[in-house]
Amino acid sequence: MGQWAIVSGIEGNLAAYEAVLEDINQQPHTVSDLYILGDVIGLQGSNQALLQRLQSPHSGEPNLHICIGWWEEQCFSLHGLSGLPDAPELMAQFGGDGVQRLWGSVLREDVQWLRSLHFGFHELDCLLIHGSTVSYADELTPNTPPITLCDRLIRADANTLFCGRSGLAFECQVEPTQLRSTVITLDGSHEPQEQEKTPRRVVGVGSVGRSPGQATYALYNPNTNAVTFKTIDYDASSNLHQLSTHSTPVL
Amino acid sequence: MKLAVISCIHGNLEALDAVLSDIDRQQVEQIYCLGDLVGYGPYPNEVVEKIRSLDIPICQGCWDEDIVEGLNACECSYPSQLSEKRGRLAHEWTNQVIHPEVRDYLAQLPMTLKQQNLSFVHGSPNSQHEYLLPSMDGFAALERVLSAGADVLFCGHTHVPYVRELENAVLTVTVQQPGQADAQQQFTAPLKRIVNAGSVGEPRHGRPNATYVLYDADTTQVALREVPYDYQKTCAAIVDRGLPAIFAWRLAQGMEFAERADDPSHVCQR
Amino acid sequence: MTAPTVIVVAGPSGSGKTTWITQTLKEHAETCFYLYPGLGEMPVDLARIGYCYPWVQVLPESQIPLLQVLPKEVVVFLEIGFHLDLQLPVLSALSYHRVAVLPPGCPQSEWHEWADEIIPGNAIAAPDPANLPQLWCTALTGQVFDPPSLDEVLIEITEGAYGNVHRLKGIFELPDGRAFYIDFVQGLEGIEYRELPIPRWLEGRPDRPSGIEVVGWQLDQTAIAQALLDGYLSAAAIDHYQQQYKTLNLEEEPAIR
Repeated sequence: MGQWAIVSGIEGNLAAYEAVLEDINQQPHTVSDLYILGDVIGLQGSNQALLQRLQSPHSGEPNLHICIGWWEEQCFSLHGLSGLPDAPELMAQFGGDGVQRLWGSVLREDVQWLRSLHFGFHELDCLLIHGSTVSYADELTPNTPPITLCDRLIRADANTLFCGRSGLAFECQVEPTQLRSTVITLDGSHEPQEQEKTPRRVVGVGSVGRSPGQATYALYNPNTNAVTFKTIDYDASSNLHQLSTHSTPVL
Repeated sequence: MKLAVISCIHGNLEALDAVLSDIDRQQVEQIYCLGDLVGYGPYPNEVVEKIRSLDIPICQGCWDEDIVEGLNACECSYPSQLSEKRGRLAHEWTNQVIHPEVRDYLAQLPMTLKQQNLSFVHGSPNSQHEYLLPSMDGFAALERVLSAGADVLFCGHTHVPYVRELENAVLTVTVQQPGQADAQQQFTAPLKRIVNAGSVGEPRHGRPNATYVLYDADTTQVALREVPYDYQKTCAAIVDRGLPAIFAWRLAQGMEFAERADDPSHVCQR
Repeated sequence: MTAPTVIVVAGPSGSGKTTWITQTLKEHAETCFYLYPGLGEMPVDLARIGYCYPWVQVLPESQIPLLQVLPKEVVVFLEIGFHLDLQLPVLSALSYHRVAVLPPGCPQSEWHEWADEIIPGNAIAAPDPANLPQLWCTALTGQVFDPPSLDEVLIEITEGAYGNVHRLKGIFELPDGRAFYIDFVQGLEGIEYRELPIPRWLEGRPDRPSGIEVVGWQLDQTAIAQALLDGYLSAAAIDHYQQQYKTLNLEEEPAIR
């Protein structure tokens, strides 16, 4: 089975995305699938160019799986396609200027294409999603309280939760060691319950486009269950990017 | 201080009266109600009238919300197509008989109530529609109590009362980030409890009796109370007032009228 | 003169008549026929015997006169439901062996007087001749049930929500194409579910017999019919489930949407 490359936060940055694709192409262990966990659009480049690139993958590239994220939800809100009108979260973080730029940078037919994307993916024992099953805006980081990370993994019904909301690259192994639970009902006490104690992990897959000039993403090997983070420096100013890469395996 | 917590009355005035009489005999200083005053049962306006007249603090239930917003329960609550149809009939009936001022009252109810280290919700701190079943993962249950900022979380919605104690919790988190040393964190939590108040008006524990809970804040003792009443009166009213007659039979069996929580691992996303 | 062997089986509802017949059928290598008059063209037992014992010819009531011209090698089983007169006019031209299947300890009854042979059947309460139950039945051909709705309705019917039910039997079609025979007798444990040995029907509404028969007292027939109706899947839902079943069988897994 080939490796998976898992990315998030392209945010319209086509140069960064091309740099990541080239790095993926150079991996000694073949990457068979590329998961993009939302935030393909944003304010870091030309959304139209990036969307055209995603909609026309080149032959030989990994199988593409894309799900929606925070920026897509802001776009849906602006177009009256979500429960929340007028994108208040976008307005709060990026102001009227951000709202204008997003509105003007995504064509109506591309909004429809984005609407056709998945919310997330359940593959093997992994959930790959932008935020969490609670919400696209659920930002999981190494500073998230352990009990919250544990809860998100239980909700995910998976041993590994890959997410991209924070833009950070990290791996949090969560091990529920101990818990005593007893229940009393109208019919009396029940035997103390044993809790599921499988160690699980939350993996932040970094961000491709958020920081111009540097892209991070994750590689996952389904055969060994190992996660590796990759950081690429690229020339953000031109299409002929120069690559300088280094990788950090996480054992 | 002794509290009584009641929930899920569902328009069953006879059951409510019986429970209030029982509470009168228990030296209770404060009653809390966890919502679902209306829905399924024959006297929604009268039940709301009674709760209001007693100034009982109450949080909004899923049915209360549905009557206000015109929505219906999450599909995950209905175990079958048949039960979903019956649930919709009950919603339509209730929607037609509810007085405007009752609807307004239900609309302004808070989602949660808090008293010191006690939190009161209908379903869970996340949603009126989330079931906290006694068999759900213990760490997920613990997360619910902690997210409410409480030591004891009172909830309803499942219609089967229970007390769940969660203690000696230990979680270890190891964080690895590129370019940084590994870090380890350990999480522990003191004793936390979830107390489900059952249902006054639509019991699902196999008997038609009303259920509620007593809590002594000084001793932290919890008592699950089961109160028999003349449920045949409610059955007759269900039929007389035009609700699906099958509800009368199901009440007598202590079975759900339509909605039922089946899957402890399912988290309603509504 | 040729005449087939005709065995007429009678007894109270739930005593085990059809069970005895199915056990006896298996012992007969010769051609067998089975009839169940008095419940329309395709009663539940007729359909079930036809599905489970394909070598047995099931005949609708209208074809009883044909019995007289069948060859002597043929064995005919004719079941008389509790609600019918034992002296069926259609049998007057035939000679036949009379078998009564009765609960053990059944007090003296018209079945005892009528029978050539008495077989002990299910240990259920003996019927009160002064208070015989009603029989309600309906064909369900073409209907496919939402499985949890069907479970709910069967529990309600058998536990007395629609009257005091003594007996329920039926054939019900499910969205994965299977059909089940369901059998309940008051006094016997549980509800019996048996998958029928017939091919899955995955092309729209099934075009093969299914139906339900309920025997009991103070039956609320309208309410039973409504509850069943509420459990029927729409044509669109049937199509959706059938497509899903066919797709899953090709071992494809859809992503979350």
